[in-house]
Amino acid sequence: MRIEKCYFCSGPVYPGHGMMFVRNDCKVFRFCKSKCHKNFKKKRNPRKTRWTKAFRKSAGKELTVDNSLEFEKRRNIPVKYNRVLWNKTVEAMKKVENIKQKRQARFILNRLKKGKELEKAEDIKEVKKNIHLIKAPHAGEARKLEEKMVQKLAEDVEMDD
Amino acid sequence: MALYNFKKITVVPTAKDFIDLTLSKTQRKTPTVIHKHYQIHRIRHFYMRKVKFTQQNYHDRLTQILTDFPKLDDIHPFYADLMNVLYDKDHYKLALGQINIAKNLIDNVAKDYVRLMKYGDSLYRCKQLKRAALGRMCTILKRQKQSLEYLEQVRQHLSRLPTIDPNTRTLLLCGYPNVGKSSFINKVTRADVEVQPYAFTTKSLFVGHMDYKYLRWQVVDTPGILDHPLEERNTIEMQAITALAHLRAAVLYVMDPSEQCGYTLSQQLELFNNIRPLFTNKPLIVVANKCDVKKVSELSEENQKIFADLLSEGIPVIETSTLTEEGVMQVKTQACDSLLSHRVDTKMKGKKVHDILNRLHLAVPTKRDEKERPPFIPEGAGLRRKTMEVDTPKHKLERDLEVELGDDYTLDLQKYWDLMNAEEKTDKIPEVWEGHNIADYIDPDIMKRLGELEKEEELREKAGEYDSDEESEDEEMQEIRKLAGQIREKRKLKILESKEKNVHGPRLPRTAKKVERSTLEKEMGDLGLDMSEKDNSHYVQQARSRSLVRKRKREASAPPTSRTRSQSASRTPRDQSGVRDAKMMKKVKMMMKSSQKGMNKEGRKGESDRHIFNLRPKHLLAGKRKSGSTSRR
Repeated sequence: MRIEKCYFCSGPVYPGHGMMFVRNDCKVFRFCKSKCHKNFKKKRNPRKTRWTKAFRKSAGKELTVDNSLEFEKRRNIPVKYNRVLWNKTVEAMKKVENIKQKRQARFILNRLKKGKELEKAEDIKEVKKNIHLIKAPHAGEARKLEEKMVQKLAEDVEMDD
Repeated sequence: MALYNFKKITVVPTAKDFIDLTLSKTQRKTPTVIHKHYQIHRIRHFYMRKVKFTQQNYHDRLTQILTDFPKLDDIHPFYADLMNVLYDKDHYKLALGQINIAKNLIDNVAKDYVRLMKYGDSLYRCKQLKRAALGRMCTILKRQKQSLEYLEQVRQHLSRLPTIDPNTRTLLLCGYPNVGKSSFINKVTRADVEVQPYAFTTKSLFVGHMDYKYLRWQVVDTPGILDHPLEERNTIEMQAITALAHLRAAVLYVMDPSEQCGYTLSQQLELFNNIRPLFTNKPLIVVANKCDVKKVSELSEENQKIFADLLSEGIPVIETSTLTEEGVMQVKTQACDSLLSHRVDTKMKGKKVHDILNRLHLAVPTKRDEKERPPFIPEGAGLRRKTMEVDTPKHKLERDLEVELGDDYTLDLQKYWDLMNAEEKTDKIPEVWEGHNIADYIDPDIMKRLGELEKEEELREKAGEYDSDEESEDEEMQEIRKLAGQIREKRKLKILESKEKNVHGPRLPRTAKKVERSTLEKEMGDLGLDMSEKDNSHYVQQARSRSLVRKRKREASAPPTSRTRSQSASRTPRDQSGVRDAKMMKKVKMMMKSSQKGMNKEGRKGESDRHIFNLRPKHLLAGKRKSGSTSRR
């Protein structure tokens, strides 16, 4: 029993779900749901369909090359069952999964950092250009002037004294 | 090949049947209605047709008979001779000749009467002619009764002849009656020939087939031959002689040393010598049958000498017993081998061999060194062969286990697995964890790689990759952000307000609308200016004066222009109102011009382009009034 990969969206196909299509050249295509199957029949390219993993990886939106991803690989030569090895593998799997998720999250976060900077620049520009919508240019200047005058007078008085 | 056609000869009907058949066919297949008053040519045609039809039928059938029966000159001489023996060549040829003559006669009759019919002038005459023609044809055929009967019998017998292929490998059995030829063929092939104690049980040739060395062999059983000269032989014996003469086969001369057949050994030897000439060019074996009754060694001196003589001449003598099957296989193998080698020799001497020999080539690998390389058979093969012979089951089968346990039995193939630790055979192996296949992760050095990965991860963490970015924003940035948010909100509100106004077409300038003092003061207050105590400001004064001016205008009739002029002079002209200084004026003018640039570039019609260049366009006013109402042009 295996959890296969959907050809179109690269999602998991659990046993009892989805469809399998075998072409005349003996190539096998598995689909997780009819949405993927119908898109395939419409001859859409998964590398151009934005919601698929294939697109995301090819467009650089997700982590593609990494050591933690090398652990999960389809192997053609089976290894004989060995209890110790199997137990160790299950533990290792858990750890690898942890690390993998951390790294993927970090990758996406880094990708989105640039947007923050753009936002900052936008804000500054906005404020520079349209500040007049919320604050008049000479707002509060009259009072400041007055206060200055008062201060000056006070100083003069003091000086006189 | 002539062989096959013997079964496909059409049935030869008796004369009576033949006539009945043809006449009824004529009756059914030709038109039957004719009247006196028809035109004469039609009547003639009608009867001519009947005559011709009958003639055609007879002709066809007789021709078919003639072609179906084999011509004795065209078939293999063995069959020709056999047919001669059985049916007498002369009689056969005569019968067929008679049929041929009858056919020709019928044709002639028909021709004559058809010619006569052309001159028939009435229905009655034509009818009589037809009757005469048909009658004559039938009489001709009646005369052939004997021939037809004979041919029918020949056909029946011919179809029942055994299909002996004269060119293939054959073993021929001959000898006195009752010596055991039929028993031999019964033993060696699947044939089931009658075996009885009386002589001449076998009255004709019988064929059986057997396999040897992946080839098909025919075994021909003949009726017994007695010892008298050729001319005195009867039909049954002649069949055997024909077979001997024509078939290129290995001859098995069966003798009976026990003399149970009723003939002494010397008589049998006599016969052997008499038919010796027929054995030339054929491999010969003498079979001493019935050895269970009497062995050759138990015979008298002279009889044993006979066999010794035969042996010395080079003819193999083999003792057999068809009852106990002793020596039967030996005879068979020896006969087959000798015939095969004989056939090969003849082929080698023939002409066709060279074609085949040129194409054959036996390739033998050349010796590259002096090392001997004999064939090698491993020990296990010998042991296995031994165990195969003993036939004892070595281990308990699953089936036995199933039978033992009955209902509780479950097929568990895991117990046959070949693992390093035998206790792990009963483990339940996990296959999937959280959407991942465990089989994809299995690797003998997974722990090593995991260690490396964890080290790498530690290094990264130390380098600070995973530290969350402090939002090291100073207050300034926060301020700016807040202000930007407010600006955006204000803008959106303004846009919404202007959308709500929903004014299409030319809009009133702002100065045309009256601005309330309270709204002005509120707006400016929101923008941060101090709007308290503004009673003496210019906008308040102006408003008051304007309202006063308006009231005065309503009371009196319009006085002369001097006042208005002065008032208009006191009011700032429109292009100077709101403009502070020359710099601003310049900017204002620039703005005016630049706002018009876009529209001017597009060349669209604007508010001031109201001039109609063509008051009466031709396309609207010329032409006839077509469909539609005439309420306008």
